[in-house]
Amino acid sequence: MYDLILFLIFLLLGYVFGQRAEKRHFRSIIEREKQLRDILVFSERRIPDAEQLDGSLVCGSVVISVDFFKRFVAGLRSLVGGRVSAYESLLERARREAILRMKEEARRGGAQSVWNTRLETASIYKGAQQSIGAVEVLAYGTAVKPR
Amino acid sequence: MADYENPLIPEGINVSPTHPLKDFILLVAGISTLLIVTVLVLSLLAGQLARHIPFANEQALAASLGRWLPQPPESAIARQRQDYLQNLAERLAGAMQLPPNMPITVHYSPGQTVNAMATLGGHIVVFEGLIATLPSENALAMILAHEIAHIRHRDPLVALGRGFTVMLALASFAGVGDGALQQGLGSIGMLPILSFSRSQEEAADAAALPAVLAVYGHVGDAAAFFEKVTQQRSGFDSPTLLSTHPDSEQRIARIREFSARQAPTDVAPTPLPAFMKAP
Amino acid sequence: MIVTNIETVPGQTIVKHLGLVSGNTVRSKHAGRDLMAGLKNIFGGELTGYTELLTESREEAVQRMIDQARSVGANAIVNVRFSTSSVAAGAAELYAYGTAVVVE
Repeated sequence: MYDLILFLIFLLLGYVFGQRAEKRHFRSIIEREKQLRDILVFSERRIPDAEQLDGSLVCGSVVISVDFFKRFVAGLRSLVGGRVSAYESLLERARREAILRMKEEARRGGAQSVWNTRLETASIYKGAQQSIGAVEVLAYGTAVKPR
Repeated sequence: MADYENPLIPEGINVSPTHPLKDFILLVAGISTLLIVTVLVLSLLAGQLARHIPFANEQALAASLGRWLPQPPESAIARQRQDYLQNLAERLAGAMQLPPNMPITVHYSPGQTVNAMATLGGHIVVFEGLIATLPSENALAMILAHEIAHIRHRDPLVALGRGFTVMLALASFAGVGDGALQQGLGSIGMLPILSFSRSQEEAADAAALPAVLAVYGHVGDAAAFFEKVTQQRSGFDSPTLLSTHPDSEQRIARIREFSARQAPTDVAPTPLPAFMKAP
Repeated sequence: MIVTNIETVPGQTIVKHLGLVSGNTVRSKHAGRDLMAGLKNIFGGELTGYTELLTESREEAVQRMIDQARSVGANAIVNVRFSTSSVAAGAAELYAYGTAVVVE
């Protein structure tokens, strides 16, 4: 019985705080994306006018945890199958945050654009109960600045 | 050379607009309906199948469960009471034409619980507390016949089969989907499911009445226990649907209806022997 | 050492290709970080400790790749890729690889 009560409390806490954290995070992402709009990001490998530029590798990484509520909903969803909308926003947040951090590194290096951007998504934890559900995203690319 | 720029991408294309709470409610409702239906179907199926297990297997199962029945009586009076109950049960079993390979064993328990129960392997436990409330042997016979009918209908085994299937079903559900349901289901699986359904109780009553009639020639006092229960409980009404035993008043009504159909007699109920009454 | 993840080094010409170089790190959760991570797992949000861990292991993997390239006499690495894989429960590998080259 105590287990059930604890479970419901976690579910409620996860929902309230998880939703708040997500909203806040999205606001901050949108805000910082506006500030970093002058750094252009492309996934092409060919850089125009490469002869007059200097390039270097830039990376951005982030680890974001799933809240209890979302994990439970996703667990339920895995019984019936279908779109796990609970995790979609999580991955979206993580990818955009990683790209933002990559852009920040590019700005620190004085670059104006990032080319051949790649994203690598992973997790330290897989399956097993009591484990931590988290998504890790690593964004990297070649930042260039005029010579 | 081509132009390179990063126009602003509108929000919310990569994220489903579904509200997480709506998703949650739909999932919980859908899955619990599925769970309930599956468990119900499985338990009914298991109940039907359990009836076809030979009685000898049920006895072996009961014997392998270890010491879960009351200890054999130690005092002379308890032994005398148990022998008397066993005797009465055998007379009733004879009247009910119980198959010869279905022996009934009655256990007398000195507990003050007002109860009697039929369990696996043809064992019936009668508590001292119950005997103390009964006015006559006929009333006791009615209860014994009711429990014998349960054994004859294989109700304890059916209940066990149902309970076991429900536990298995819940356990297998809990294993699905990363164990996310485990925490939620863990506590539900513990609910005691080993009870008889209302229809089983009614069938047992219906089978018990002719047996009592065959042994005593009348069904006087058959309703005595329930009448007493209704008197004691006059303070509150338990809702009929919630309890598995049919409402006492309904049972009294059925018993009276049955006795009304018999030729009227003025034979007095057989009293309980003196040693059955508490000292 | 110039590191890029495109096939060339902008503004320079590759004069010599020296083949594949790589660097890896295997990282795992540790108790101190886990304590906070356990809480975050109820509330959600960024696991700062783990982000640091990921950054550290990425830097180390890149550093190891650079060490390999330097030892073969390269002055740049092109076409760098990162790859991650779960080795066992609670441990993951970060692998960086690219082509060591000499540029002028």
